[in-house]
Amino acid sequence: MSSNGNGHHHEGMWVFPDPVTATRDLVGKITARSGVFTLALAVAGILFVLGIIGFVAKASTSGFSDPGPWGYYMAIFSFIFLITASAPLVAVAFRFTKSHWRRPVSRVSELFAVVGVLNVVMFIPVMLALPPIENVAYVVGSHSELAARRSIWLGMSGVPLGAPHWWDMLGIVSLAVASLGILWLSALPDMAQARHITTGFRRSLYTLLAGHWYGTKKQWLHQKAGLAILGGLYFMMLIFVQFLIVSDYAMSLVPGWKDSILPPLYTVLGLQSCLGLILIILFVMRRFGGYGEYIGVSPFWSASKILLGLTLLWTYHLFAFFVTFWYGRLEVEQNVLKYFIFQSYSGVFWFQILFTFFIPFFLMIWNPIRRSDWGPPLAGLSALGGCFLYNIRTFVGSFNVGEIYEPILTRVPPPVYPDLWDVFIVLGGLGAAVFVYMLAARLLPVLSIWEVKEGAKYQHMDTLIRKEYLVLAKPE
Amino acid sequence: MQEGRPLAPTEINRALLNSILEPPRWFWPVVSILGLIVLAAAITIGVMVDKGLGITGLGRPVVWGFFITNFVFWIGISHAGVMLSAILRLAKAEWRRPATRAAEVLTIFSLMTAMTMPIVHTGRPWRILYWVFPYDFARGLWPNIRTPLVWDPSAILTYLTSSTLFVLIALVPDFAVLRDHTTGISHRIYSVLAMGWEGNARQWKLQIIAGILLSALILPVFVSVHSIVSWDFGMAMAVKTWHSTIFAPYFVVGAVHSGVSAVAFVMILLRWMYSWQDYIRHEHIDALGRLLIVVATGWFYFFVMEVIFGIYGREADEVAVRALQFTQWPFDVWSYVFVGTTYFLPVGIWLFRSGRRNLWVMSTACISVNIGMWLERYLIIVPGLVNKQVFTFTWAGYVPSPAEIIIVGATFALVSMLMLLFSRVMPLVPLYDIKEGEILRTEVQVGRRVVPATFRED
Repeated sequence: MSSNGNGHHHEGMWVFPDPVTATRDLVGKITARSGVFTLALAVAGILFVLGIIGFVAKASTSGFSDPGPWGYYMAIFSFIFLITASAPLVAVAFRFTKSHWRRPVSRVSELFAVVGVLNVVMFIPVMLALPPIENVAYVVGSHSELAARRSIWLGMSGVPLGAPHWWDMLGIVSLAVASLGILWLSALPDMAQARHITTGFRRSLYTLLAGHWYGTKKQWLHQKAGLAILGGLYFMMLIFVQFLIVSDYAMSLVPGWKDSILPPLYTVLGLQSCLGLILIILFVMRRFGGYGEYIGVSPFWSASKILLGLTLLWTYHLFAFFVTFWYGRLEVEQNVLKYFIFQSYSGVFWFQILFTFFIPFFLMIWNPIRRSDWGPPLAGLSALGGCFLYNIRTFVGSFNVGEIYEPILTRVPPPVYPDLWDVFIVLGGLGAAVFVYMLAARLLPVLSIWEVKEGAKYQHMDTLIRKEYLVLAKPE
Repeated sequence: MQEGRPLAPTEINRALLNSILEPPRWFWPVVSILGLIVLAAAITIGVMVDKGLGITGLGRPVVWGFFITNFVFWIGISHAGVMLSAILRLAKAEWRRPATRAAEVLTIFSLMTAMTMPIVHTGRPWRILYWVFPYDFARGLWPNIRTPLVWDPSAILTYLTSSTLFVLIALVPDFAVLRDHTTGISHRIYSVLAMGWEGNARQWKLQIIAGILLSALILPVFVSVHSIVSWDFGMAMAVKTWHSTIFAPYFVVGAVHSGVSAVAFVMILLRWMYSWQDYIRHEHIDALGRLLIVVATGWFYFFVMEVIFGIYGREADEVAVRALQFTQWPFDVWSYVFVGTTYFLPVGIWLFRSGRRNLWVMSTACISVNIGMWLERYLIIVPGLVNKQVFTFTWAGYVPSPAEIIIVGATFALVSMLMLLFSRVMPLVPLYDIKEGEILRTEVQVGRRVVPATFRED
């Protein structure tokens, strides 16, 4: 065990921050100026502006009457939504299981709640591009078209209250509000302490947001109960909203595509890639952000096993989908396979499999790579790439399938490549998400200070027989 | 989470070996009763072989009934072993320790019982040989390896073999303890089984590595078994509601749900039968209850997806089967009972600490899950077959005959009897795992509170 600065290290695996100096040190990090940070923020901002230009150009040239041109916009929306909406669940889940390694991870994942606001704004054009369930051009008695396309809304004529558009929006708004609630509750104790350390705008903001938090026992109990209740609610809402999005904006646009495993497949992919992104952020913070005293290798080591599990789980779900359709031999199922896997989007599919399965799997099965701070983020980066390609394949494909009111898919449509505005939109979407997240990281501590301090009390090194081991305390 | 008092190794040996060295007086009467039930089933099978499947309720179009339902059910129960033993071992969950052996053994016996069901279902069991041996390879006749009906025995036998190996590897240190506590023929048998175990550092290292490797290797087998069983149904295009992409994970999660519930119930029974209050504590049952909330909710999600996408296509024949399942007597009542007993009742109990820590209530919840999960399989199989034919005049109902009820009921007696007999010769709670847990337990002072803690290697 060696001492270094504020805390103690044990071969880099575990760190034991000093609870006395942690608050001042961590609050100091978000107020300090950093040239690299500012540059990254500026680049993200420029991309954001490019995205807006691309969006305006696309809207003025294509309008919203046909979903086809909006395929890439939908794909990038889904990519950002899938990852950023899933991210707060990482904090919720590992707080629920009382995993100590989660402590540096919690706030990094909860901060994605701020990107939820961007999701709401980005969803508006998607609503406009989604065609109605009812086939307005339907000729009574026609066998070549349906009166209403298949959807989870069951083709109810004049589905009440604007389904699916407004219901999907309601889901996305609810998710954003719930995740902001989780972020606020979780950050309460940190903001209450930070208001005594900071000055100016930050002090006013923290004073306003921290309210009457003084850290009494009753307040702590309420905070933990609130986090548990909101967390449970968030989990259920997330699963439901992801089910809505992938069925309304992908499956129901492809005639005859009936695939009950698609929602869990989508959700598992979101969990895999959001964990990957969180690990990348942790890596950057540890290596370049000066958080080495607070982030050991143990979060990477523990998260890597979960990343491996999610990678296998996703692949299993994909195989279950594939083998059932492949054996089914129904015309529509064969065409769906040809469209998304074997013909039109085969290149995207195989690259996605490489990034989502092969690279993370072969990285994460090696102990030395799992026990490093670079291996799991590298696997995470690959998973992010895979997730991006999945969204391109699924949503660009679904938006461009053509005759969406036909009973089944009887042909294999060609692939659709991006134009310049699509490239701007994709880059802009990514830039916007990074920009918003980085702004949030300047306002709130990126590490959950109270959880890091709590963890320091529950973990230490001790000798058992002849060797030194980590001692983990787990209060009820 | 750590309750109970510290336990010395000698005390652990004495208490956990009492089922072997000092068997309770109720042991042989209970085994005899269970044996009689199994015998009754064997006689019934004999009658069925003599008279033919006509004495069952099976017929066209419902050619799969109680036997296949029971086959899927017992395959499901077998998923407890790997879930609790391998996954929790890899996750280093401390509370797994007393549950692992019972779970692994339950896996083996439920797999063996499951395998008897399709054989009984054939009505002419010896004809199974015809499927394997009389193929005329010279004239290009081969078994159809593209059918799940061939994958099934392969997957199940692989799972059975690997699970047996898994149990045996974990039993070696305990065999050595038994070798040192017995005399005569027992001593000689345990000496052979202990394979020269002395408990030196090298042996422990090899045993731990073997356990971890087997845990990791058995996981894909574990997932494949119930996936393949689900594809018995999922690949069938003729029966509406069966051809569903979600069946594989839906079946696997359901299997874990019923299997872990069964293990929790077995643990409560063991605690009561052998007075193992110091070893199977409320904290262990509590932890199982919390795990089950997650598993049950995952299962419920898959169930909802399966039903929603069942009616998503708005295909008349599939909607008709769903209507049969949920709105027509008697399937509607069974459906509500199934959903209530599988999810709402048990999860309603597990959400409360007092429910998870009351062993009577916990037992009720666990039994409830398994009643529900049995019904689930029945409701997947039978309504689809009842509505299978295009013309309504060929539709037929299905009422299980007394022969089927006796045989299916006896499978529960068979598994119980095998578990009891196992406990007579081998410890159902792993001695070395409990001792290791005792060594690793410690405490940490946080402020004015003493918090339970454990030593961790990583």
